[in-house]
Formats: sequence, structure tokens, C-alpha cells
Amino acid sequence: MGEVILTMKGIDKSFPGVHALDHVDLEVRKGEVLALMGENGAGKSTLMKVLTGIYKKDSGTITYEGKEVEFKNTREAQENGVVIVHQELNMVGDLTVAQNIFIGREPKKGLGIDDRKMIKDSQALFDQLHIDIDPKQKMKELTVGKQQMCEIAKAISHKAKVIIFDEPSAALTEKEIEDLFVIIRDLRDKQLGIVYISHRMDEIKVITDRVTVMRDGTYVGTLITKDSTKEDIINMMVGRVIYEDPKTHSMVPKDAPVVLKVENLNAGRMVQNVSFELRKGEILGFSGLMGAGRTETARAIFGADPKTGGRISIMGKDGQLHEVQIRTPQDAVKAGIGYLSEDRKRYGIIVEKTITENSTLACLENYMNGPFINKAAEKKIAEKYVKELATKTPSADEMVVNLSGGNQQKVVIAKWLVKDCDILIFDEPTRGIDVGAKNEIYKLMNRLASEGKSIIMISSEMTEILRMSDRIVVMCEGQKTGEIGIEEATQEAIMNLATRNID
Amino acid sequence: MNKKKSIFNDQRVIAALVAIALIIVYMIFSKEFRKYSSILSMLDFSYYTLLMAFGVTFPLITAGVDLSIGTGMVCYALVGGTLIRNNNVPVAVAMLVCILMGCAVGLLNGVLVGVMGLAPFIATLSTCMITRGIGSMCNATPWPTLKQPGGWFHSIFKLTFGQGRGATKFPIGFILVIIIMFVMEFILFHTKFGRYTLAIGSNKEATRLSGINVKFYHVMVYVVCGFFAGLAAIAYAAVVPTVQPGTGAGLELDAIGGVFVGGVYATGGYGSIIGSFIGTMVIVLLKTGLPYIGLQANWQQIITGAVLIIAVLIDIMKKKRIQ
Amino acid sequence: MEKLKQNPIVKKIGLNRIILVGVLILMYIVFCIGIKGFAATGLDHIRNTLNYVYFLGFLSLGVTFVIATGGIDFSIGPVMFCCALMAGYCLNSYKWPLIPCMIFAVVIGTLFGIFNGWLVAYMSVPPFIVSMASMNIAKGIAAVFTKVQSQSWPQSKDPVNGWFRNIVSYKGFPTGLVVFLIAAVLCGILLYNTRPGRYILCLGSNREAVRLSGVNTKKYEMLAYVMCGLLTGIAALFFVAAYTTVQPGYGDQYNNEAIAGCVMGGTSMVGGLASILGTVIGVTIISLLQEGILAFGLGKDFQLIVTGIIVIVAVYADVSARRRKN
Repeated sequence: MGEVILTMKGIDKSFPGVHALDHVDLEVRKGEVLALMGENGAGKSTLMKVLTGIYKKDSGTITYEGKEVEFKNTREAQENGVVIVHQELNMVGDLTVAQNIFIGREPKKGLGIDDRKMIKDSQALFDQLHIDIDPKQKMKELTVGKQQMCEIAKAISHKAKVIIFDEPSAALTEKEIEDLFVIIRDLRDKQLGIVYISHRMDEIKVITDRVTVMRDGTYVGTLITKDSTKEDIINMMVGRVIYEDPKTHSMVPKDAPVVLKVENLNAGRMVQNVSFELRKGEILGFSGLMGAGRTETARAIFGADPKTGGRISIMGKDGQLHEVQIRTPQDAVKAGIGYLSEDRKRYGIIVEKTITENSTLACLENYMNGPFINKAAEKKIAEKYVKELATKTPSADEMVVNLSGGNQQKVVIAKWLVKDCDILIFDEPTRGIDVGAKNEIYKLMNRLASEGKSIIMISSEMTEILRMSDRIVVMCEGQKTGEIGIEEATQEAIMNLATRNID
Repeated sequence: MNKKKSIFNDQRVIAALVAIALIIVYMIFSKEFRKYSSILSMLDFSYYTLLMAFGVTFPLITAGVDLSIGTGMVCYALVGGTLIRNNNVPVAVAMLVCILMGCAVGLLNGVLVGVMGLAPFIATLSTCMITRGIGSMCNATPWPTLKQPGGWFHSIFKLTFGQGRGATKFPIGFILVIIIMFVMEFILFHTKFGRYTLAIGSNKEATRLSGINVKFYHVMVYVVCGFFAGLAAIAYAAVVPTVQPGTGAGLELDAIGGVFVGGVYATGGYGSIIGSFIGTMVIVLLKTGLPYIGLQANWQQIITGAVLIIAVLIDIMKKKRIQ
Repeated sequence: MEKLKQNPIVKKIGLNRIILVGVLILMYIVFCIGIKGFAATGLDHIRNTLNYVYFLGFLSLGVTFVIATGGIDFSIGPVMFCCALMAGYCLNSYKWPLIPCMIFAVVIGTLFGIFNGWLVAYMSVPPFIVSMASMNIAKGIAAVFTKVQSQSWPQSKDPVNGWFRNIVSYKGFPTGLVVFLIAAVLCGILLYNTRPGRYILCLGSNREAVRLSGVNTKKYEMLAYVMCGLLTGIAALFFVAAYTTVQPGYGDQYNNEAIAGCVMGGTSMVGGLASILGTVIGVTIISLLQEGILAFGLGKDFQLIVTGIIVIVAVYADVSARRRKN
């Protein structure tokens, strides 16, 4: 364990309505691998974005190599030796591996680019890192894992002194992870400072020297890896006092019928053989960390993305389960399923239209007067839900773009309530919403459940999962790792399942 | 993900085969086509289309387009011709004017698209109208014929030995175009400009995040396209007896269609000047050759339009299958 | 200014539209003052302008639907000519009665609309490529079908079909204007008061959100192009009623003018915002502008340049405004 190369002290960063980082500290030492852990929304990537200049910090200091710095952008950070290997790869698919690694600093030969030198240098990099990739291949032809290796090679070619790996192993095979660790150990021996952001407990134990844990935007503490247990770390990650009482027992009667049955759903890497049941009047929580595949599962069920296999059965009017063919959202909506997307601005609302227009979008056929839209009826139902959901707006004719995030979410919810779906999938329903609005949404969900609607609630907020769910399905990297009833559910148990990867 | 690297995966090979097939068909079914003079005449008309195609390959690679090349080319030729005829400007200077005008309009297009953020088709559709208007202000002007003073420029494209009917003509222009093709292919694949053009077309945001001045290169792409429209104007003037104002709309389809047949990605990120050459030759063969086997001239437009759609559909299908 | 914006009448019509009407009136006054004899032969100019408005107006109405979905169709000019030419050939050479010919013209336009719409909505071909191809296919088909002969439609003195011109004006009364305004109103109702219209506007704004709400976006996107084709067919009828003769090989100029009228009127090229009223006013301005340019002694070339500049300015203004809003 060498000297300190990078210190972040008292970093504070706020966005409108969200205090993302609250006096966070971080210390990176030369020749050491530091794990940075925390739940979704803990602030890990925000902290890294502040470091590499994507965000500007509100206060606090960053000291690098003994000098105080504030990088204005990633390029400046890169030039100074602070490099981040992102989860979302910044690669140009149609160029080759070598061309991507040296983009922006191509060596010259005569009038043109010296491609041969680039290939040679790339090959040397790969040899150094023991990676088996052909530099002449087009980037888009490589698997995600191999692309990530290229990203790492690119970072190293920038003569980095501090490398940050953001969830690097998520897309790698076991062999590739082993190779990655060899590289990381090599870099560590070369006295680089390495930050390893990951949720995979087993890997943390293998490759890291120390672990820094963040929670809800604050710095919790740092442990020495070999002296700590998985439970210690989990405790730091979730150890919070939950002010709202978690649900103590399921509200669903034992004999409640199954309204939705999903069997062996397959949709690419993120949805592997997922099976579960949803009962009438139940709120089924879907927990897991980012990249677990929950949204992908929901979208596959909803027909938004194509699926490669699996059966979906829905309870019909006769009370029996019938298999349904859902290939498009149209089919899903007809079958009585509604889906509130995670990214409501992109997929949930139409910003330039009014609340009324957004509210009736899923079932406009019910508000017709012959061939014409019955605008009066439309407005009436929109106003009904504005009132019921307490959406803050001067009128139902207001354009959605003028509403706050929480109120926009209410409009999306209204859309599916107007349609009167029996099965509702809420994907992160209270993300970016203030506490008051959150409670209203919780009350609404409970009411819907008691009225006999069935809800799947995807959430990354532990408190929310524990407060609302009757039962909890946990996913990790595309697979369902477990199911817990609310009676037995604890944060630790859920996190355990969320960090377990079944290979 | 190991695709069998068949030579037939390269669309350029398929296009070349189509071109060869067309030539064979024409040779078999038309006596006229087998004459040297017919081939010469066909080549004459290929130069300006090929030059336009070389230029427009660049915007197409960035998933953009330049619809003003056809009317632009005619406009520059008209202005050049007017300068020669009315202002006694030497032909060499008129040629330079063509090129400069092309670059200027290209710069305008580049700024509209790359800096101001207008959609390429609407920006270049408007400059198409503007250049057509400017061109229409000129009168129909022929550039000097071979025998007239200043007519030397014809020899860039066609060398004539001897006089009168028995004169031997050699299409040196074709060799020139091929040389230009290799030069531009080199520029596309081995220089920063070409590299970044491909990168912008493939993933503009990633390219920007890699620290490259995307705006600059995006503008330059259209300037290069305009430059070639200027060159095409010279080739056009060399071939057409009199340049008529109001013409030109539709010529860009031949060039753009040719580039698509040559394998450019509809969504951008890949293109090849050699591919554009082969693809455009297919279009030229269709356009000039069909009359030899009895198909009326206007069928060309229908067929060229259909070929464009088919070429793009093939590209889209290929992408869908990979997903 | 703010108080003006809050006025309920202003809100309903839209400040842009009112400004446009102001521009229209101002333009007319400037022409009267600036162009010798413009006011004196006033009625002539108004009649010429109206003739232009009719066909250009139908083109613009049609392309409004397409632009509302965030797409584009610049094959409308040549398609219009194709309709007029093909139907005219049937009239003149096959000696069909007039009314079937009129229907035929509209049918051809609709067929092109189906073709364009299918390629864009179902085959995911970028709209500008479809437009380019359609444009030339239309020109080619028109030329082949009519054996490259221009076609003339009946004039008033025609014993049998002389009534044809009455769709434009009857004894001085601008019947064309009535038809056009009724059509504009119908388009407005379709766009704002029916389901297809609602879906078209919404999918232009955020196609994915509409798809995820369970709507068949492909069907409605194609419908927009079909509407455009249909209205282009109708535009053809008004063109020949006003100008009698059509020649193969032309039509491009009207593409830009129709789009210009549309965008000027407030229909956004980004998609999702459309104004029928704006299109009507925009088209009137363009038509009056063209008439004014001609009266001033400048030719078609000037019209082309001016229209080109107008489109650039209008689209840029629209793009910046949308960027600011978001």
C-alpha cells in the first residue's frame, strides 16, 4: 500500500430536488485496488463524474498528485492520467479496434494515418495485458466483453495513473474476468491507483485491497477487504434507519388467484429463464441492482422488446389462466397490462401535449363521439384523475412539459388508470419525486391493490420495496435469484440475493 | 460471432457483378452498343455523375445527404459559361469559379447542417432551390467547343487525334476519374478527415466525447461534397452541348442512388469511394444503356428510383438480420 | 406584449398566426405601393394568387400531415403532375368521361401515398430516400404513360366539359376558395378531433411513448402519407383547372413552396406540432409572394431563391424554438 495519489474531500453536489453527494470523501492510494460500493443511487457514478469533470462540484476539494485540481472535462482528466472505463462504452462501432483506441491521436505517415503503427501498438497493448483480440476487427463485431477490454486498453494507452472501473465485469465471461484481474493486478504492481466499482461481493473479496462504501449520497466508511466479511459490507450499504414502517405481512389472501404467470421468459442476456407468478390484489416487488434485468423483463412481458422464448398466461374473464401471445405493446394493452416506463420523459409522456391528451392516449377509443373525439368526456376523466392523484396543475389543458417531475409521473399513472388495466407494471414509480408525492403514489398503489388490481413494482429503493411489497422477486444479471415473502424479508436478505450471481 | 467472410458479403462485389451482367446483356442484345462510339458516349456522360457520387459519398456516410449537387452542378456550369461568353473570362478561370462556387455552397450546406442543426435534407433541398434559381438567371450558354479558343478543356476528358469523321477519340477522362477514385478512397480510409467522417457517421456522440471537433469535420464533409459538385460542373460542361437553365433536378438521384448501390449504410458509418464508383456505373449503365435495348428514356427514371429503394431496403434488411 | 399573449382570442389562434396575417397584409400593401400598377390591376393579381393558393394549398395540407409525424415528402410536386398527366391522357387519348378522370387523378395520388407510407412506416426506409425515389418514379411514370406529351384539361369554352373550370371560379365567384377552405377545415377536424389525427400528432412528438401506450404507430404513420397522396391528387385537379396544361418533367418547385407554407405556418419539422390554419396563411403568403415577384418583373429564378431562403429561415427558427422549449 503506497502513498496517496488522489483525495476527494467533502465533495458536495446537488441537482434540482436531489442532494446527490453530501460531503463525500474518497482516498485512492498508489499500488492499491479500492472498491467503491453502494446501492443504486448511492452516488458512486455521480462522484466519479465529478472527478472526471462531467459534473462540476458545488464544494469540496480534489487533490491529485499533491496538487489541487478541478478537471473541466474528461479529456483534461485523461491527459492528466485519470481515466474512467465506463459501463456504457464510448466506442465507434464501424471503426476497427486499433482505430478506436487511438482515435483523436492517430500517428501520421506521409499524407495519411499510419494504420500499421496503430495496429502494432494496439497489439503490443493487448500482449501486455494478455488480451486476445485482433486489432483489425471492427468494433461492432466484438462481444460486449471484448469491447470493454478494448476500452481498458485504451485507458491504459493514455498512460493513466488512476483508473476507475465502473462495473467492469458485468458483461464479461468468467475467463474474461480472470484475464481482467490479471491485468488489474499487473497495473497495481505498476503502482497505479485503481478504483473498482462493482456490486459483486465475491470479486471484491478477490481483487480489492480496501472497500469504501457509500449510501444515499454520503460516505459511510472504508474497510480493509481481507479483514471484513460480506455481512459487514452489506450492513454498511443498507444500514439505515427506515422511518416508514415496512410492511409486516402480505395483504393478499392465501387463496388469491394467479392473474399473470410468466414461464421461462427469455430475451437476450438480460432476461434468462425468468419465471414467476402474480396474484390478484398483490403488489409484487422486483428488486435488484442496476443491470439486473428487471426493466428488460418487464419490457419483454409488455411486448416492447422482442422475446426469444417463454410463455405468458393471463387470467381471463372466466377466472382461468389462458396463454396470450404478446408481440407488441398493442397486444399487451389489449390483454389488460399497463407499463409505466422507467424513463418517463422518453417513454411515458408526450411533453408537448396536454395532460388530457396524455391521459387518454392508451384508450382513446373509449372517448369517442362517433368518429370524433369527445373532448368534453376526455377532459372530464383527465380532471378526475388530476384531482384523485393531486396533480399540481392549473388545469387539465396544461402542457405536460410545464409540470414538475413528480406531477409528470402522475400523468403517466393516470394514463393507465384511465385505461383501467388489471395488471400494472410500475418501473421505478417514484424516481425523482419528492416525498409528499411519493406518499400519494404509495397510497394510490395500495388502494389499487385493495380494489383487486395486481401490481408489479420494480424499484431500486430498498425502503420502498420493503414498505409496499407483499412478496419480493430478486433478480441479478438477468436471472431470478430468489423470491421472499414480506414476512421474511430484510434488507440484508434482499441484498444478498441481489449480489449473488448464478453462473 | 464468426461470420463466414464470403467475398459476396461485400456489396461492391455484387454491384460489380450486376454491372458486368448489364454490359453482357447489352452487348448481346444490341449491335449499337458494341460500337466504340457508343461506349465513348456512355463514358462521356458518366464523368459528371461519378464526380458527384464521389463527393456525396461523404455526407451519406455521416447519415446526411446533399440534394443540391444536381442543380448546383448545372448552376456552376451556367455561371462559368456566362463568364466565358459574356465577360471573356479564360476557361481556366471559369473552371476555378465552378470549383469555388461549389465549395461556397458546400460551406453553406455544412454550416446549416453541422452548426445550425438543420436536417440535411431540408437544408440541401433549400440550397438546391437557391442554386437552381441562380442558375436560371443565366441564359443557356455553351462552353467553347473543341475547335474554339478555350476548347482545350475538353481534352481533359477526351483526347482527339486527327480531324473530322475519322478522328480517333480516347476517353482519358475515365482514367482521370479512376485516379481520383483511388485518391479519395485513400483519403476516406487513411486520413484524419476520412476517419472522422466515418466515426461521425457511426457514432457522433462517442466521437465528440473522444475530443474530436465534430462540428468542424461535419462542415468539411459538405464542403468536400460541394467541391466535387464544382468538378462535376466542368465535366458536365465538357459533355453537354449547351447547358440549359432549369435542368439538373434529378441528376443527384443518379449519384446518390449509385452510392447506395455501392454499399453505403443508410444509417451511416460506412461507405467506399470504390463502391460509389461501381454503384454509379451500374446506374449509368442502366441510364444510358437501356435505350440500346429498346427501353424508352423515361423508364430510366422509374428504374433508377426503384434501384435506389431496393438498394436501401437490402441494406436495412441486412441490418435487421444481424440484430 | 405579455398581456397580448394572455388574450383568449390570441391564445386560440396563436400569436404566430396573427403575426403571419399581419405579414400578409403588409406584403400586399408593400406590393401595391412598390410595384407600379399592382393596385390598379388588383383584381387580376388576387385572382392569380388565388389560383396558386388552391393547388399549393392542397399540397401543403397534405404535407402538413407528413411533417406532423416528423417525416417529409418532397415528391408531392412531381406526383401532382403525374396525376394530372395520367388522368389527362385518359381524358384526351382514351376519351374517358371527365368525372372518372378526376377520380383517377386522386386515386393515383393516393397510390403514391400508400407506396411512400408503406416504405417509411413498415419498411423503415428514411423518408428523404423514399421521397427522392418517388419523385423520380413519378416523373418517369408520367412521361412513359403519356408518351411524353403534355396534357390539356378542358377550358370553359369546351362544350361538354366546360364546367370543369367552375371548380376554380364560377362567373367570377371564387368557388375554389370555398372548396379549399372547406377542405382545410376538414383537415383540421381530422387532425385535432379524430383518433388518427391525435395519434399522428403524438407520434410525431414521441413515437416510442405512443407505441408503448399500445397504439399501432405504423398504421397511423402510413396514414399520414396516404392523406398526403390523396390531397396531392386533389391538388392536381385544381392545378389543371387553373392552368389547363401540364407538361411532363416539372413540378419540383412546388415541393419547396408547399413545405415553406407549412413550416412558416407553425408546423414543426421536428414533428408533433401542426397548424392547419398556419398552413393556410403560410400558403397564401407564398402565393402572394410569387405573384408579387412576377409582377415586379423578376422571373421564376427569383421565386426559387426566395423560397429556398424562406424555408431555411423558417426551419431554423423552428429548430431553435423547439430547442429552447426543451
